[in-house]
Amino acid sequence: MSAVSGFGKALVIITGASKGFGRALALSIAPRLAAGSALILAARSDDRLQELRADLSRGESGLTVRCVAADLGCQAGVDRVIDEIRDIHPDIHHLLLFNNAASLGDVSRYCHDFTDVDEVNSYLSLNVSSALCLTAGVLRALPQRTGLTRVIVNVSSLCALQPFPSWVLYCSGKAARDMMFRVLAEEEPDLRVLNYAPGPLDTDMQLQARSSSADDALRNSFSDMHAQGQLLTCEQSINKLIKVLLEDKYTSGAHLDFYDL
Amino acid sequence: MEDEISPESRDLGRALCIITGASKGFGRTLAFQLSCLLKPRSVLMLVARTTEQLNQVKEDIITLYGGQNQLEVRCVQADLEKKDGVEKMVQAAKETSVSDMDHLLLINNAGALDFVIALQKKASLGDVSRFALTFTDPAEVNRYLSLNVSGALSLTAGVLQAFPRRLGLRRSVVNISSLCALKPFPSWVLYCTGKAARDMMFRVLAAEEPDVRVLSYAPGPLDTDMQLQARRSSGDLQLRRSFCSMFSEGQLISCEESGAKLIKLLLDDDFLSGAHLDFYEL
Repeated sequence: MSAVSGFGKALVIITGASKGFGRALALSIAPRLAAGSALILAARSDDRLQELRADLSRGESGLTVRCVAADLGCQAGVDRVIDEIRDIHPDIHHLLLFNNAASLGDVSRYCHDFTDVDEVNSYLSLNVSSALCLTAGVLRALPQRTGLTRVIVNVSSLCALQPFPSWVLYCSGKAARDMMFRVLAEEEPDLRVLNYAPGPLDTDMQLQARSSSADDALRNSFSDMHAQGQLLTCEQSINKLIKVLLEDKYTSGAHLDFYDL
Repeated sequence: MEDEISPESRDLGRALCIITGASKGFGRTLAFQLSCLLKPRSVLMLVARTTEQLNQVKEDIITLYGGQNQLEVRCVQADLEKKDGVEKMVQAAKETSVSDMDHLLLINNAGALDFVIALQKKASLGDVSRFALTFTDPAEVNRYLSLNVSGALSLTAGVLQAFPRRLGLRRSVVNISSLCALKPFPSWVLYCTGKAARDMMFRVLAAEEPDVRVLSYAPGPLDTDMQLQARRSSGDLQLRRSFCSMFSEGQLISCEESGAKLIKLLLDDDFLSGAHLDFYEL
Protein backbone atom coordinates (compact mmCIF):
# COMPACT_ATOMS: atom_id res chain seq x y z
CA MET A 1 0.00 0.00 0.00
CA SER A 2 1.61 3.29 -1.06
CA ALA A 3 1.55 6.24 1.29
CA VAL A 4 -1.08 7.96 -0.81
CA SER A 5 -3.54 5.10 -0.98
CA GLY A 6 -3.93 4.85 2.78
CA PHE A 7 -4.13 6.90 5.93
CA GLY A 8 -1.32 5.13 7.74
CA LYS A 9 -1.72 4.48 11.41
CA ALA A 10 -4.97 6.22 12.16
CA LEU A 11 -7.78 6.71 14.60
CA VAL A 12 -11.04 6.90 12.72
CA ILE A 13 -14.33 7.79 14.37
CA ILE A 14 -17.60 7.41 12.51
CA THR A 15 -20.96 8.42 13.93
CA GLY A 16 -24.17 6.96 12.56
CA ALA A 17 -22.08 3.93 11.68
CA SER A 18 -24.79 1.29 11.95
CA LYS A 19 -26.20 1.70 8.47
CA GLY A 20 -26.19 3.67 5.24
CA PHE A 21 -23.29 5.95 4.48
CA GLY A 22 -21.67 5.52 7.89
CA ARG A 23 -21.60 1.77 7.66
CA ALA A 24 -20.28 1.81 4.09
CA LEU A 25 -17.65 4.30 5.14
CA ALA A 26 -16.42 1.98 7.88
CA LEU A 27 -16.13 -0.90 5.43
CA SER A 28 -14.43 1.23 2.75
CA ILE A 29 -11.94 2.93 4.99
CA ALA A 30 -10.82 -0.07 7.04
CA PRO A 31 -8.59 -1.47 4.25
CA ARG A 32 -6.92 1.92 4.01
CA LEU A 33 -5.72 1.89 7.58
CA ALA A 34 -2.32 0.56 8.56
CA ALA A 35 -1.86 -2.03 11.30
CA GLY A 36 -2.17 -0.50 14.72
CA SER A 37 -5.09 1.68 13.64
CA ALA A 38 -8.36 1.97 15.50
CA LEU A 39 -11.90 2.42 14.28
CA ILE A 40 -14.52 3.73 16.67
CA LEU A 41 -18.07 3.23 15.51
CA ALA A 42 -20.89 5.13 17.19
CA ALA A 43 -24.61 4.73 16.67
CA ARG A 44 -27.69 4.11 18.74
CA SER A 45 -28.17 0.50 17.70
CA ASP A 46 -25.80 -1.85 19.44
CA ASP A 47 -26.98 -4.90 17.46
CA ARG A 48 -26.18 -3.36 14.14
CA LEU A 49 -22.84 -2.10 15.36
CA GLN A 50 -21.89 -5.62 16.44
CA GLU A 51 -22.87 -6.95 13.03
CA LEU A 52 -20.67 -4.34 11.43
CA ARG A 53 -17.82 -5.27 13.72
CA ALA A 54 -18.22 -8.90 12.65
CA ASP A 55 -18.12 -7.87 8.98
CA LEU A 56 -15.02 -5.79 9.59
CA SER A 57 -13.21 -8.58 11.38
CA ARG A 58 -13.30 -10.59 8.20
CA GLY A 59 -11.00 -8.01 6.67
CA GLU A 60 -8.04 -6.37 8.28
CA SER A 61 -6.21 -7.76 11.23
CA GLY A 62 -4.22 -5.26 13.21
CA LEU A 63 -7.29 -3.01 13.27
CA THR A 64 -8.92 -2.37 16.61
CA VAL A 65 -12.66 -1.87 16.32
CA ARG A 66 -14.67 -0.36 19.16
CA CYS A 67 -18.42 0.01 19.14
CA VAL A 68 -20.20 2.66 21.15
CA ALA A 69 -23.96 2.46 21.33
CA ALA A 70 -24.88 5.95 22.46
CA ASP A 71 -27.29 8.80 22.01
CA LEU A 72 -25.09 11.63 20.86
CA GLY A 73 -27.76 14.19 21.68
CA CYS A 74 -26.70 14.23 25.31
CA GLN A 75 -23.46 14.81 27.20
CA ALA A 76 -23.28 11.23 28.50
CA GLY A 77 -23.41 9.83 24.97
CA VAL A 78 -20.72 12.18 23.72
CA ASP A 79 -18.57 11.35 26.75
CA ARG A 80 -18.81 7.62 26.05
CA VAL A 81 -17.30 8.10 22.60
CA ILE A 82 -14.55 10.30 24.04
CA ASP A 83 -13.81 7.67 26.68
CA GLU A 84 -13.06 5.12 23.96
CA ILE A 85 -10.44 7.40 22.54
CA ARG A 86 -8.48 7.65 25.72
CA ASP A 87 -7.15 4.11 25.61
CA ILE A 88 -6.10 4.29 21.99
CA HIS A 89 -2.43 3.88 21.23
CA PRO A 90 -1.05 7.40 21.06
CA ASP A 91 1.28 6.70 18.16
CA ILE A 92 -1.15 7.56 15.37
CA HIS A 93 -0.41 9.84 12.44
CA HIS A 94 -3.95 10.58 11.45
CA LEU A 95 -7.15 11.37 13.24
CA LEU A 96 -10.30 11.28 11.13
CA LEU A 97 -13.66 12.17 12.63
CA PHE A 98 -16.65 11.62 10.35
CA ASN A 99 -19.67 13.49 11.68
CA ASN A 100 -22.22 11.43 9.81
CA ALA A 101 -25.04 10.70 12.28
CA ALA A 102 -28.15 12.57 11.22
CA SER A 103 -31.87 12.32 10.79
CA LEU A 104 -34.13 13.68 8.11
CA GLY A 105 -36.70 15.03 10.52
CA ASP A 106 -40.40 14.96 9.78
CA VAL A 107 -40.55 15.86 6.10
CA SER A 108 -44.27 15.29 5.95
CA ARG A 109 -44.85 18.71 7.50
CA TYR A 110 -44.26 22.29 6.55
CA CYS A 111 -42.67 25.22 8.40
CA HIS A 112 -46.00 26.43 9.72
CA ASP A 113 -46.56 23.05 11.38
CA PHE A 114 -43.51 23.26 13.64
CA THR A 115 -45.18 25.08 16.49
CA ASP A 116 -43.60 22.89 19.18
CA VAL A 117 -40.23 24.31 20.14
CA ASP A 118 -39.33 21.09 21.98
CA GLU A 119 -39.63 19.11 18.78
CA VAL A 120 -37.35 21.48 16.92
CA ASN A 121 -34.90 21.49 19.81
CA SER A 122 -34.78 17.73 19.85
CA TYR A 123 -33.96 17.69 16.16
CA LEU A 124 -31.23 20.31 16.49
CA SER A 125 -29.78 18.51 19.48
CA LEU A 126 -28.97 15.40 17.45
CA ASN A 127 -28.19 17.07 14.16
CA VAL A 128 -26.33 20.19 15.22
CA SER A 129 -25.31 20.28 18.88
CA SER A 130 -24.03 16.72 19.09
CA ALA A 131 -21.74 17.22 16.10
CA LEU A 132 -20.19 20.32 17.65
CA CYS A 133 -19.81 18.80 21.10
CA LEU A 134 -18.40 15.51 19.86
CA THR A 135 -15.93 17.33 17.62
CA ALA A 136 -14.86 19.59 20.47
CA GLY A 137 -14.47 16.64 22.82
CA VAL A 138 -12.47 14.57 20.34
CA LEU A 139 -10.12 17.41 19.48
CA ARG A 140 -9.51 18.17 23.13
CA ALA A 141 -8.79 14.51 23.81
CA LEU A 142 -6.33 14.45 20.90
CA PRO A 143 -4.69 17.83 20.77
CA GLN A 144 -2.48 19.11 18.04
CA ARG A 145 1.05 17.72 17.91
CA THR A 146 3.76 17.31 15.29
CA GLY A 147 3.25 14.29 13.14
CA LEU A 148 -0.51 14.16 13.72
CA THR A 149 -2.92 15.28 11.02
CA ARG A 150 -6.39 15.88 12.35
CA VAL A 151 -9.26 15.71 9.86
CA ILE A 152 -12.86 16.63 10.60
CA VAL A 153 -15.47 15.69 8.03
CA ASN A 154 -19.04 16.94 8.18
CA VAL A 155 -21.40 14.87 6.09
CA SER A 156 -23.25 17.75 4.53
CA SER A 157 -25.82 18.02 1.75
CA LEU A 158 -27.05 20.19 -1.08
CA CYS A 159 -29.67 21.05 1.53
CA ALA A 160 -27.05 23.08 3.37
CA LEU A 161 -27.06 25.49 0.43
CA GLN A 162 -30.50 25.22 -1.08
CA PRO A 163 -33.94 25.27 0.53
CA PHE A 164 -36.32 22.36 -0.12
CA PRO A 165 -40.05 22.66 0.64
CA SER A 166 -41.17 20.43 3.54
CA TRP A 167 -37.56 19.94 4.62
CA VAL A 168 -37.10 22.84 7.04
CA LEU A 169 -35.44 20.84 9.81
CA TYR A 170 -33.01 19.02 7.57
CA CYS A 171 -32.06 22.12 5.55
CA SER A 172 -31.67 24.30 8.65
CA GLY A 173 -29.62 21.65 10.40
CA LYS A 174 -27.32 21.17 7.42
CA ALA A 175 -26.91 24.92 6.94
CA ALA A 176 -26.10 25.25 10.64
CA ARG A 177 -23.53 22.46 10.48
CA ASP A 178 -21.75 23.84 7.45
CA MET A 179 -21.37 27.21 9.18
CA MET A 180 -20.28 25.56 12.42
CA PHE A 181 -17.48 23.72 10.67
CA ARG A 182 -16.50 26.81 8.71
CA VAL A 183 -16.04 28.68 11.99
CA LEU A 184 -14.02 25.75 13.33
CA ALA A 185 -11.80 25.90 10.24
CA GLU A 186 -11.25 29.64 10.84
CA GLU A 187 -10.37 29.14 14.48
CA GLU A 188 -8.08 26.14 14.07
CA PRO A 189 -5.82 26.50 11.04
CA ASP A 190 -3.98 23.26 11.74
CA LEU A 191 -7.17 21.24 11.32
CA ARG A 192 -8.36 19.88 8.01
CA VAL A 193 -12.08 20.53 7.93
CA LEU A 194 -14.32 19.37 5.11
CA ASN A 195 -18.04 19.80 4.50
CA TYR A 196 -18.75 16.92 2.11
CA ALA A 197 -22.11 16.67 0.35
CA PRO A 198 -22.30 13.03 -0.75
CA GLY A 199 -25.02 13.31 -3.40
CA PRO A 200 -28.35 11.42 -3.43
CA LEU A 201 -27.49 8.06 -1.86
CA ASP A 202 -29.48 4.87 -2.03
CA THR A 203 -30.15 4.51 1.68
CA ASP A 204 -33.00 4.35 4.20
CA MET A 205 -32.88 8.13 4.45
CA GLN A 206 -33.51 8.38 0.72
CA LEU A 207 -36.39 5.93 1.06
CA GLN A 208 -37.89 8.16 3.70
CA ALA A 209 -37.40 11.16 1.42
CA ARG A 210 -39.26 9.61 -1.49
CA SER A 211 -42.07 8.15 0.57
CA SER A 212 -42.73 10.86 3.13
CA SER A 213 -41.93 14.29 1.70
CA ALA A 214 -45.04 16.43 1.80
CA ASP A 215 -44.05 18.46 -1.23
CA ASP A 216 -45.34 16.61 -4.28
CA ALA A 217 -42.74 17.89 -6.73
CA LEU A 218 -39.93 16.97 -4.41
CA ARG A 219 -41.32 13.53 -3.66
CA ASN A 220 -41.77 12.86 -7.36
CA SER A 221 -38.26 13.93 -8.19
CA PHE A 222 -36.89 11.53 -5.58
CA SER A 223 -39.05 8.74 -6.92
CA ASP A 224 -37.88 9.45 -10.45
CA MET A 225 -34.24 9.42 -9.39
CA HIS A 226 -34.79 6.06 -7.80
CA ALA A 227 -36.76 4.63 -10.72
CA GLN A 228 -34.22 5.83 -13.25
CA GLY A 229 -31.26 4.43 -11.36
CA GLN A 230 -29.78 7.84 -10.67
CA LEU A 231 -29.16 7.27 -7.03
CA LEU A 232 -25.58 6.78 -6.02
CA THR A 233 -24.30 3.83 -4.10
CA CYS A 234 -22.61 4.79 -0.88
CA GLU A 235 -19.41 3.24 -2.21
CA GLN A 236 -19.41 5.54 -5.25
CA SER A 237 -19.64 8.57 -3.06
CA ILE A 238 -17.18 7.32 -0.49
CA ASN A 239 -14.58 6.63 -3.14
CA LYS A 240 -14.65 10.28 -4.11
CA LEU A 241 -14.53 11.38 -0.51
CA ILE A 242 -11.55 9.19 0.26
CA LYS A 243 -9.75 10.42 -2.84
CA VAL A 244 -10.27 14.04 -1.76
CA LEU A 245 -9.04 13.26 1.74
CA LEU A 246 -5.95 11.43 0.53
CA GLU A 247 -5.04 14.14 -1.97
CA ASP A 248 -5.50 16.58 0.89
CA LYS A 249 -5.64 19.67 -1.34
CA TYR A 250 -9.05 21.01 -0.35
CA THR A 251 -9.36 24.35 1.43
CA SER A 252 -10.18 23.75 5.06
CA GLY A 253 -13.81 24.69 5.70
CA ALA A 254 -14.83 24.19 2.07
CA HIS A 255 -18.12 22.66 0.99
CA LEU A 256 -17.50 20.04 -1.68
CA ASP A 257 -20.24 18.15 -3.44
CA PHE A 258 -19.96 14.70 -5.03
CA TYR A 259 -20.99 16.25 -8.33
CA ASP A 260 -18.23 18.88 -8.16
CA LEU A 261 -15.54 16.25 -8.05
CA MET B 1 -28.93 59.87 1.29
CA GLU B 2 -31.97 57.93 2.37
CA ASP B 3 -35.51 58.88 1.52
CA GLU B 4 -37.49 60.38 4.33
CA ILE B 5 -40.32 58.18 5.39
CA SER B 6 -43.52 59.96 4.43
CA PRO B 7 -46.22 58.43 6.55
CA GLU B 8 -48.91 60.35 4.72
CA SER B 9 -48.15 58.81 1.37
CA ARG B 10 -47.20 55.21 2.14
CA ASP B 11 -47.95 52.96 5.04
CA LEU B 12 -47.91 49.37 6.15
CA GLY B 13 -51.65 48.95 6.30
CA ARG B 14 -54.05 48.16 9.08
CA ALA B 15 -51.82 45.69 10.73
CA LEU B 16 -50.99 43.38 13.49
CA CYS B 17 -47.30 44.09 13.79
CA ILE B 18 -45.33 41.85 16.13
CA ILE B 19 -41.76 42.63 17.15
CA THR B 20 -39.75 40.25 19.32
CA GLY B 21 -36.83 41.55 21.35
CA ALA B 22 -38.63 44.89 21.39
CA SER B 23 -37.40 46.22 24.73
CA LYS B 24 -34.13 47.67 23.50
CA GLY B 25 -31.71 48.02 20.64
CA PHE B 26 -32.90 47.43 17.13
CA GLY B 27 -36.29 46.02 18.17
CA ARG B 28 -37.09 49.09 20.18
CA THR B 29 -36.15 51.41 17.34
CA LEU B 30 -38.25 49.43 14.90
CA ALA B 31 -41.19 49.73 17.29
CA PHE B 32 -40.96 53.50 17.09
CA GLN B 33 -40.41 53.64 13.37
CA LEU B 34 -43.17 51.18 12.53
CA SER B 35 -45.67 52.74 14.87
CA CYS B 36 -45.99 55.78 12.64
CA LEU B 37 -46.55 53.65 9.56
CA LEU B 38 -49.46 51.60 10.78
CA LYS B 39 -52.99 52.70 9.93
CA PRO B 40 -55.40 53.63 12.72
CA ARG B 41 -56.72 50.73 14.82
CA SER B 42 -53.64 48.66 14.09
CA VAL B 43 -52.05 46.69 16.91
CA LEU B 44 -48.35 46.79 17.69
CA MET B 45 -47.37 43.82 19.80
CA LEU B 46 -44.04 44.12 21.58
CA VAL B 47 -42.46 40.97 22.95
CA ALA B 48 -39.47 40.70 25.28
CA ARG B 49 -38.42 39.17 28.57
CA THR B 50 -38.43 42.30 30.69
CA THR B 51 -41.80 43.85 31.50
CA GLU B 52 -40.49 47.16 32.78
CA GLN B 53 -38.50 47.93 29.66
CA LEU B 54 -41.36 46.88 27.42
CA ASN B 55 -43.81 49.09 29.24
CA GLN B 56 -41.38 51.96 28.94
CA VAL B 57 -41.24 51.50 25.17
CA LYS B 58 -45.02 51.45 25.07
CA GLU B 59 -45.28 54.62 27.16
CA ASP B 60 -42.75 56.39 25.00
CA ILE B 61 -44.63 55.51 21.83
CA ILE B 62 -47.92 56.65 23.27
CA THR B 63 -46.36 59.88 24.50
CA LEU B 64 -44.99 60.52 21.05
CA TYR B 65 -48.35 60.21 19.34
CA GLY B 66 -50.71 61.06 22.16
CA GLY B 67 -53.09 58.43 20.88
CA GLN B 68 -53.60 60.34 17.66
CA ASN B 69 -52.77 57.41 15.49
CA GLN B 70 -55.20 55.12 17.34
CA LEU B 71 -52.49 52.55 17.64
CA GLU B 72 -52.96 49.91 20.28
CA VAL B 73 -49.68 48.88 21.78
CA ARG B 74 -49.66 45.53 23.58
CA CYS B 75 -46.76 44.31 25.62
CA VAL B 76 -46.21 40.59 25.97
CA GLN B 77 -43.61 39.45 28.46
CA ALA B 78 -42.27 36.10 27.24
CA ASP B 79 -39.03 34.15 27.31
CA LEU B 80 -38.79 32.82 23.77
CA GLU B 81 -36.09 30.36 24.72
CA LYS B 82 -38.79 28.29 26.37
CA LYS B 83 -41.78 26.42 25.07
CA ASP B 84 -44.22 28.22 27.36
CA GLY B 85 -42.81 31.58 26.31
CA VAL B 86 -43.39 30.82 22.65
CA GLU B 87 -46.89 29.53 23.39
CA LYS B 88 -47.71 32.60 25.47
CA MET B 89 -46.67 34.87 22.64
CA VAL B 90 -48.59 32.94 20.01
CA GLN B 91 -51.64 32.90 22.25
CA ALA B 92 -51.44 36.66 22.68
CA ALA B 93 -51.29 37.04 18.91
CA LYS B 94 -54.31 34.78 18.48
CA GLU B 95 -56.30 36.84 20.95
CA THR B 96 -55.59 40.05 19.12
CA SER B 97 -58.23 41.23 16.80
CA VAL B 98 -57.69 43.95 14.29
CA SER B 99 -60.84 44.75 12.42
CA ASP B 100 -60.29 44.98 8.68
CA MET B 101 -56.77 43.74 9.16
CA ASP B 102 -54.90 43.74 5.87
CA HIS B 103 -51.36 43.09 7.04
CA LEU B 104 -49.68 40.66 9.39
CA LEU B 105 -46.08 41.76 9.98
CA LEU B 106 -43.83 39.62 12.16
CA ILE B 107 -40.33 40.79 12.95
CA ASN B 108 -38.12 38.05 14.38
CA ASN B 109 -35.60 40.25 16.06
CA ALA B 110 -35.04 38.60 19.47
CA GLY B 111 -31.62 37.02 19.65
CA ALA B 112 -28.41 36.93 21.59
CA LEU B 113 -24.71 36.56 21.25
CA ASP B 114 -23.80 33.24 22.81
CA PHE B 115 -21.68 34.69 25.57
CA VAL B 116 -24.55 36.83 26.71
CA ILE B 117 -26.33 33.60 27.52
CA ALA B 118 -23.22 32.33 29.25
CA LEU B 119 -23.11 35.49 31.34
CA GLN B 120 -26.65 34.99 32.51
CA LYS B 121 -26.07 31.40 33.37
CA LYS B 122 -22.93 31.90 35.37
CA ALA B 123 -22.20 34.37 38.10
CA SER B 124 -18.83 35.40 36.74
CA LEU B 125 -18.63 38.52 34.69
CA GLY B 126 -16.08 39.17 32.03
CA ASP B 127 -16.80 35.94 30.19
CA VAL B 128 -15.45 36.17 26.74
CA SER B 129 -17.07 34.64 23.71
CA ARG B 130 -15.89 31.17 23.23
CA PHE B 131 -14.12 29.11 20.68
CA ALA B 132 -15.78 26.10 19.12
CA LEU B 133 -13.59 23.65 21.02
CA THR B 134 -14.98 24.83 24.35
CA PHE B 135 -18.49 23.64 23.50
CA THR B 136 -18.37 20.13 24.90
CA ASP B 137 -21.76 20.25 26.62
CA PRO B 138 -24.76 19.73 24.32
CA ALA B 139 -27.10 21.30 26.90
CA GLU B 140 -25.40 24.63 26.52
CA VAL B 141 -25.52 24.56 22.72
CA ASN B 142 -29.13 23.39 22.82
CA ARG B 143 -30.09 26.26 25.04
CA TYR B 144 -28.60 28.76 22.64
CA LEU B 145 -30.28 27.18 19.63
CA SER B 146 -33.58 27.08 21.48
CA LEU B 147 -33.82 30.85 21.64
CA ASN B 148 -32.18 31.76 18.39
CA VAL B 149 -33.38 29.03 16.05
CA SER B 150 -36.16 26.81 17.39
CA GLY B 151 -37.98 29.65 19.11
CA ALA B 152 -38.00 31.73 15.92
CA LEU B 153 -39.36 28.83 13.83
CA SER B 154 -42.03 27.83 16.32
CA LEU B 155 -43.33 31.29 16.97
CA THR B 156 -43.41 32.06 13.26
CA ALA B 157 -45.30 28.82 12.69
CA GLY B 158 -47.74 29.63 15.48
CA VAL B 159 -48.38 33.15 14.23
CA LEU B 160 -48.86 32.02 10.62
CA GLN B 161 -51.31 29.36 11.77
CA ALA B 162 -53.18 31.93 13.84
CA PHE B 163 -53.53 34.12 10.77
CA PRO B 164 -53.84 31.75 7.85
CA ARG B 165 -53.74 32.75 4.25
CA ARG B 166 -56.76 34.68 3.07
CA LEU B 167 -57.60 37.10 0.35
CA GLY B 168 -56.82 40.66 1.29
CA LEU B 169 -54.32 39.75 4.00
CA ARG B 170 -50.68 40.44 3.33
CA ARG B 171 -48.40 38.38 5.52
CA SER B 172 -44.79 39.45 5.98
CA VAL B 173 -42.12 37.73 8.03
CA VAL B 174 -38.80 39.40 8.70
CA ASN B 175 -35.76 37.59 10.03
CA ILE B 176 -33.20 39.92 11.55
CA SER B 177 -30.14 38.28 10.11
CA SER B 178 -26.45 39.18 9.99
CA LEU B 179 -23.32 38.98 7.90
CA CYS B 180 -22.62 36.12 10.30
CA ALA B 181 -25.26 34.07 8.51
CA LEU B 182 -22.98 34.03 5.47
CA LYS B 183 -19.48 34.38 6.81
CA PRO B 184 -17.74 32.53 9.65
CA PHE B 185 -16.23 34.62 12.48
CA PRO B 186 -13.73 33.10 14.91
CA SER B 187 -15.01 32.87 18.51
CA TRP B 188 -18.61 33.32 17.32
CA VAL B 189 -19.52 29.74 16.48
CA LEU B 190 -22.99 29.74 18.04
CA TYR B 191 -24.02 33.14 16.72
CA CYS B 192 -22.90 32.30 13.16
CA THR B 193 -24.46 28.85 13.34
CA GLY B 194 -27.75 30.23 14.61
CA LYS B 195 -27.89 32.94 11.97
CA ALA B 196 -27.05 30.50 9.18
CA ALA B 197 -29.79 28.16 10.40
CA ARG B 198 -32.33 30.99 10.54
CA ASP B 199 -31.55 32.25 7.05
CA MET B 200 -32.11 28.74 5.69
CA MET B 201 -35.24 28.24 7.76
CA PHE B 202 -36.77 31.37 6.29
CA ARG B 203 -35.68 30.43 2.77
CA VAL B 204 -37.55 27.15 3.18
CA LEU B 205 -40.57 29.08 4.43
CA ALA B 206 -40.40 31.32 1.37
CA ALA B 207 -40.19 28.28 -0.91
CA GLU B 208 -43.19 26.67 0.78
CA GLU B 209 -45.45 29.71 1.06
CA PRO B 210 -45.25 31.93 -2.00
CA ASP B 211 -47.91 34.22 -0.60
CA VAL B 212 -45.84 35.04 2.50
CA ARG B 213 -43.31 37.84 2.03
CA VAL B 214 -40.14 36.57 3.72
CA LEU B 215 -37.10 38.74 4.22
CA SER B 216 -33.80 38.09 5.96
CA TYR B 217 -32.44 41.53 6.72
CA ALA B 218 -28.84 41.96 7.88
CA PRO B 219 -28.86 45.36 9.61
CA GLY B 220 -25.11 46.07 9.63
CA PRO B 221 -23.02 46.74 12.74
CA LEU B 222 -25.47 48.58 14.99
CA ASP B 223 -24.62 50.76 17.94
CA THR B 224 -26.36 48.65 20.59
CA ASP B 225 -25.69 46.65 23.76
CA MET B 226 -25.00 43.61 21.58
CA GLN B 227 -22.26 45.52 19.79
CA LEU B 228 -20.85 46.58 23.13
CA GLN B 229 -20.61 42.93 24.14
CA ALA B 230 -18.93 42.18 20.82
CA ARG B 231 -16.18 44.73 21.25
CA ARG B 232 -15.63 44.04 24.93
CA SER B 233 -15.88 40.31 24.98
CA SER B 234 -15.19 38.61 21.68
CA GLY B 235 -12.72 35.81 22.26
CA ASP B 236 -10.79 36.44 19.06
CA LEU B 237 -8.39 39.34 19.52
CA GLN B 238 -8.42 40.47 15.92
CA LEU B 239 -12.20 40.51 15.88
CA ARG B 240 -12.36 42.46 19.10
CA ARG B 241 -9.92 45.01 17.69
CA SER B 242 -11.92 45.46 14.54
CA PHE B 243 -15.11 46.04 16.53
CA CYS B 244 -13.30 48.56 18.70
CA SER B 245 -11.98 50.45 15.74
CA MET B 246 -15.41 50.50 14.11
CA PHE B 247 -16.69 52.08 17.25
CA SER B 248 -13.91 54.58 17.71
CA GLU B 249 -13.96 55.56 14.05
CA GLY B 250 -17.67 56.22 14.12
CA GLN B 251 -18.45 53.42 11.67
CA LEU B 252 -21.27 51.90 13.65
CA ILE B 253 -24.70 52.38 12.23
CA SER B 254 -27.52 53.86 14.24
CA CYS B 255 -30.57 51.66 14.70
CA GLU B 256 -32.63 54.44 13.13
CA GLU B 257 -30.59 54.51 9.96
CA SER B 258 -30.72 50.74 9.54
CA GLY B 259 -34.36 50.59 10.55
CA ALA B 260 -35.18 53.12 7.87
CA LYS B 261 -33.69 50.87 5.20
CA LEU B 262 -35.64 47.89 6.42
CA ILE B 263 -38.80 49.93 6.40
CA LYS B 264 -38.20 51.11 2.87
CA LEU B 265 -37.87 47.47 1.83
CA LEU B 266 -41.20 46.72 3.48
CA LEU B 267 -42.90 49.73 1.93
CA ASP B 268 -41.54 49.04 -1.54
CA ASP B 269 -42.40 45.38 -1.07
CA ASP B 270 -40.54 44.28 -4.18
CA PHE B 271 -37.83 42.16 -2.55
CA LEU B 272 -37.51 38.56 -3.63
CA SER B 273 -39.17 36.46 -0.94
CA GLY B 274 -36.54 34.51 1.00
CA ALA B 275 -33.73 36.86 0.02
CA HIS B 276 -30.93 37.90 2.33
CA LEU B 277 -30.42 41.65 2.04
CA ASP B 278 -27.70 43.57 3.81
CA PHE B 279 -27.76 47.21 4.94
CA TYR B 280 -24.65 47.88 2.92
CA GLU B 281 -26.20 46.62 -0.30
CA LEU B 282 -29.15 48.98 -0.16
